[in-house]
Amino acid sequence: MAGSEVTDIATPHVTELAPLIVLLPMIAFAVILFLGKVFNGNPTWKNAVKEGGIIALGVMSAVLVLSLLLIADFIGSVQAGHDSVFHWFTSGVWDGTSAGVSTDKFGFGIYVDHITVMLLFVAAFLCLLINTFSIGYMNTDPINDNRNHRFYAEFVLFCSGMLGMVLADSFLWLFIFWEIMGLCSYLLIGFYYERPSAAYAAKKAFLTTRIGDVFLMIGLVMLWDLFGSLDYTVVFDSANIEHVAEHSAGTLQWALGLMFIGAVGKSAQFPLHVWLPDAMEGPTPVSALIHAATMVNAGLYLVARMFPFFGAEALHGDLADLAYIIAVVGGITAVMAAAIAFVQMDLKKVLAYSTMSQLAYIFTGLGCALYLANTLDWHHNDKDHYIVIVAFGAALFHLFNHAMAKGMLFMASGSVIHEVHHAHHHLHHHDDHGDDHGDDHHDDHFDAQSMENMGGLASKMPITATAMLVGSASIMGLPLIGGFWSKEGIIANAWRVAQDDPKFLLPAMCVLIGAGMTGFYMSRMWLKTFAGKPNNEVAAHVGPTNTWIKIPLFLLTFVSLSSVFFAGMGFTHWAPDENYAFMSEKSLVDGIIYEMGHAFANEDSYFFIITYIAIALGAVAGPGLAMALYGGELEEGESAKPWMMPVIRLNSWVKARFNFDNSAFAESTLAVALQNRLYIDHYYDMAMLKIVAGFSTKAADADSDVIDGTIKTIESGSQSISEVVRSLTTGSARDYILMVAVGMLAIFMLVWGVA
Amino acid sequence: MSETQAFSNEFYSALLPEMLLFAGLIALILIPNLGKGTFRIPGTQLRLPWFLGGQRFGLTSNPRLPAWIATITLAGAFAAVLDSLNGGVESLLVVSSDSDAAKELLMVNGFSRVFELIFFGALALASFASMNRLKVEGTGGKLTEDQLFNNRRQADFYILMLTCGLGMSVVALAQDLFVLFIGLELASFSTYVLVAFMKESKTGSEAGMKYFIVGSVASGVGLYGLSMLYLWSGSLQFDALALAFAETGTEPLPLIGIGFVLVGFGFKVSAAPFHFAAPDAYAGASSPVAGVLATASKAMGMVGLIRMLLIVAAPESSDGSAVWLVAIGALAALTMTWGNIAALGSTNPKRMLAYSSVAHAGYMLAGLTAIGAWTWDPSFAGQEGEAALLVMTALMFHLLVLVAFKLGAFLVLSILENDGDSSRLSSLGGLAKREPLLAFAMFIFMISLAGVPPMAGFLSKLMVIMGIVNVGVGSGINSFGDLHWVWWLALLMVLNSAISVFYYLRVAVVMFFEAPEKGREGPLPSGWQVRASIFICVAATILLGVFGDSVLEMCRDAAESLTTKW
Repeated sequence: MAGSEVTDIATPHVTELAPLIVLLPMIAFAVILFLGKVFNGNPTWKNAVKEGGIIALGVMSAVLVLSLLLIADFIGSVQAGHDSVFHWFTSGVWDGTSAGVSTDKFGFGIYVDHITVMLLFVAAFLCLLINTFSIGYMNTDPINDNRNHRFYAEFVLFCSGMLGMVLADSFLWLFIFWEIMGLCSYLLIGFYYERPSAAYAAKKAFLTTRIGDVFLMIGLVMLWDLFGSLDYTVVFDSANIEHVAEHSAGTLQWALGLMFIGAVGKSAQFPLHVWLPDAMEGPTPVSALIHAATMVNAGLYLVARMFPFFGAEALHGDLADLAYIIAVVGGITAVMAAAIAFVQMDLKKVLAYSTMSQLAYIFTGLGCALYLANTLDWHHNDKDHYIVIVAFGAALFHLFNHAMAKGMLFMASGSVIHEVHHAHHHLHHHDDHGDDHGDDHHDDHFDAQSMENMGGLASKMPITATAMLVGSASIMGLPLIGGFWSKEGIIANAWRVAQDDPKFLLPAMCVLIGAGMTGFYMSRMWLKTFAGKPNNEVAAHVGPTNTWIKIPLFLLTFVSLSSVFFAGMGFTHWAPDENYAFMSEKSLVDGIIYEMGHAFANEDSYFFIITYIAIALGAVAGPGLAMALYGGELEEGESAKPWMMPVIRLNSWVKARFNFDNSAFAESTLAVALQNRLYIDHYYDMAMLKIVAGFSTKAADADSDVIDGTIKTIESGSQSISEVVRSLTTGSARDYILMVAVGMLAIFMLVWGVA
Repeated sequence: MSETQAFSNEFYSALLPEMLLFAGLIALILIPNLGKGTFRIPGTQLRLPWFLGGQRFGLTSNPRLPAWIATITLAGAFAAVLDSLNGGVESLLVVSSDSDAAKELLMVNGFSRVFELIFFGALALASFASMNRLKVEGTGGKLTEDQLFNNRRQADFYILMLTCGLGMSVVALAQDLFVLFIGLELASFSTYVLVAFMKESKTGSEAGMKYFIVGSVASGVGLYGLSMLYLWSGSLQFDALALAFAETGTEPLPLIGIGFVLVGFGFKVSAAPFHFAAPDAYAGASSPVAGVLATASKAMGMVGLIRMLLIVAAPESSDGSAVWLVAIGALAALTMTWGNIAALGSTNPKRMLAYSSVAHAGYMLAGLTAIGAWTWDPSFAGQEGEAALLVMTALMFHLLVLVAFKLGAFLVLSILENDGDSSRLSSLGGLAKREPLLAFAMFIFMISLAGVPPMAGFLSKLMVIMGIVNVGVGSGINSFGDLHWVWWLALLMVLNSAISVFYYLRVAVVMFFEAPEKGREGPLPSGWQVRASIFICVAATILLGVFGDSVLEMCRDAAESLTTKW
């Protein structure tokens, strides 16, 4: 971070092992793909090795262990560390202007600081859990038979990309791994490539993120031009930043702004958000992996990595505009995505829009934190320092909470879909071929992902329902659970900035309203799925899920519930601050008491009011409205687990008390517009057809006539030259000797000429 | 640097690899003849076994035995060189006597050691792989005369491999043009016969004959050049020649002499227009032998050129005016372009590889030209000296890694030769289906030849180009006009590399996307030795490309040791 010394990590053995975190999955990719090709269809491969699932599981467990070792080592030493792992070669670079040749190093290194460590844990932990889930989900489905090895191979390659991106020590390697992830995301979304909608979704995701990536690349090139390097150690060096700030602070803002567009694409923010809902075409573990837990966090990570620029003293106030843009993009997306989520009937799409909206929260949080870092004198003023750190920490903490909760929600939704489909098959195809589930839309048009086909599942799938309940509560920010701690922080900080700078009222209002909207759509989703009476015969016959799926749900429920302990341990202070020793200032109990007091009894009345408005909207108004509209009593004689019964009783009471009729709204223009995703996809398609397609046709013609024509001419030309040259090789030794003589004479002439 | 006399103890220990080769040579001649022969002490009935003649033992009658002896000998020599390289090499000069008039004969230093490594490595891999290439016609029972004859020929082949290695290492060690010539001819004659050794097809003997005729003309011209140099300076010692050249180097006699010598070595490195016999020879020889020609033999020619151009004909001041600069520069440009253009249209994989090897010779000549630009002083001080050292290092590294991927490619073709034929591009068809690992290996070799990261071929080519560019740029320039013209050779190299990608990748296209030829769909002939050799080559290609640091360090030390006499 700005101003801090980057030192080598105290105990080198762990950093030596760190490259394995990236390398192991990459090797596993090749191994699984190769073995899959060789042993495809072999019963041992299929049943004992789960078509590579067990290999992937082993590798991901090893990765988690290594990551934990690295994290433990890091927490022990509390120093940002940089370690060049592998130095390939050094190249002379002629820079054209100043005399001489500078050198540039090529290689790969590991960079570890608080942000790395946090995201490393998130990625490694969730990848392992999702891997476990996949074994229960993918391998029980006949439609995947004999191609699961492809899934697992792409899965581990994806993990390698994510982990590599987190650990990389330069923006260049970050970009390389970023693109590996992009590739895997394309492959995994299009896993059922025989289905046109999946192929379309894969292409859409790839192309949309590509737009962002092009900007990211331009931004990186500009950054390289400014600093002469993309290594973190160079670009974050305060002396270098000072040097750049003197002449080209504006250019730096543009470079970072372009990089931010890359993050917008990767994290599905407005206006590059259109790919995420369609990407739900991929198998559910993919949705959990890519679209909730890891890949979408890459954009956030990139923005968080920019903190040293914003925090640099030399750039004081220069980057405030960019910070505002980040916050506004986040605010708009938060409200827009939440609104679209209101009307979605597809379980996974609700979650997709929720992801978009929550990521937007984090962007707003980051934007505010970056703004504070850029405008406050936080290097010298302790109070300002605290404000900046806590604002940044809240955003990072929400990243953590959201990843855990959303990963769990996706897996739980997968579990629901899996079982609904199973039940459907059980009922309608007694002579069926197995239990292929929700990911393939059947010809009889039964949609296992639609909440129309669910309802009252709380009694039938206790673990899934509990997980979903805790996950929803965490996303909604229900007091004390999961995302509450971080979301309150983000909202409070947005309002803190708005206090200083009125133009921040826009994002601040957005996140406040968004909190209420989140409360509504998450409650709606849970109630429609788990409460009330089964909507049809299928939902009445759903059974519990299998162990592979239960394990990750159980673990993540536990993590989400223990969020209060993370808060108490000072996560929000530790995550962004390189000088903050882990658990050094307060004991756990003191920490929890402090956080509680801070959240519920803030001495500053401004924040006190904001907090309670947020709680009132997110935890009372939103869920209350949803309860009045959806859900209700379970089927008679059925009962859920005791901890879910109060929710259901409250729901039925509210529903009976205020029996709203929302049919008027359902037919309104707004609802239709929301159904159509505010027509944004529609406009994009139109623009594509009208402008881009016309241009593309011209470009294609130019390509085939001019460029290909030239190349073909060169090719045929060089082939004929080649014939001439080779025809000199006559096969007769006499001619060869003649040529030797000719060559000899030529040498003489040349030597003579010089001498 | 220490000095010792020939045949002293130090001499033997320093030349351990050559001694091993010599011992292996004797073993190769003797061991296959060991039998139950006995010797009767005259006048008595006592018969003493003396093992020569009579019925041969089971082991010694095994026709595979010579191959094993040769491979183990060469591998042992390789290991001995590697061992002596470990921790730096102390330069040792071997002189003919302890008198003042003693002649310098051989020099053991980092430079010669690295080249020994190249020679023995290539030969060891080739002879190991040849175990599968040369047919053994049964080991027991009744054999026809032809079969017996074929089995006996095994020993001849491997004896030639060893003499070839011995000759090459003498070239690398020589400090005297005459010693160098002896080594050159020993190696050359061995290769002529090795090329003609492939008897399955007529092309083998024809190629061998052609290679011999053109080669002996080139050698004759070279020898004539040597005699002119002797006539001029009265000595064939590198030292003496270099001194004399610094004084009166621009007289016609030494210039003509050096021109003639260049022709001789130009043939060895297959520089255009002396390369014409090379494609025929490569195509006619059995593939492992062709691999040796393309790697070890070429490295030997490069040693000769380096000695001749950078030691003997080096100008004494750093004024950038070596007399041969333009000639070698032109030769480099012609060679790389010719090689690549001819390879473009070549449909015979072995000829294609031969032309590609011509192109690689052009790249190396371009490197030599850059060093010869003499924009630096002999102590390698400053950026210019650093650049020259970089080119030299890169050249040695390139020759070293060439063994991995060029020989490897030929070894893959040798399996196809056993399968019937490898003279058409289509004979590689469907290799990916027939034996995926082999196709993968060939693919690695091809992209390494083309210079794709992270293969070894990328690193070596990049360093040569980088070195030339650095020499061309010198200590800083302000415009293109200030560039030394060798910079354009680097540009030409880049353009040529772009052309070459076409024909290298065409091999991959045929292997992965085209169907096998009719009747060749089945599995390839077995043989673990050749596959093991290929595996070693693949591993070296990748590992040296990624973790080449220590080897580069070694080459750098070697490059510095070459110039201890400057």
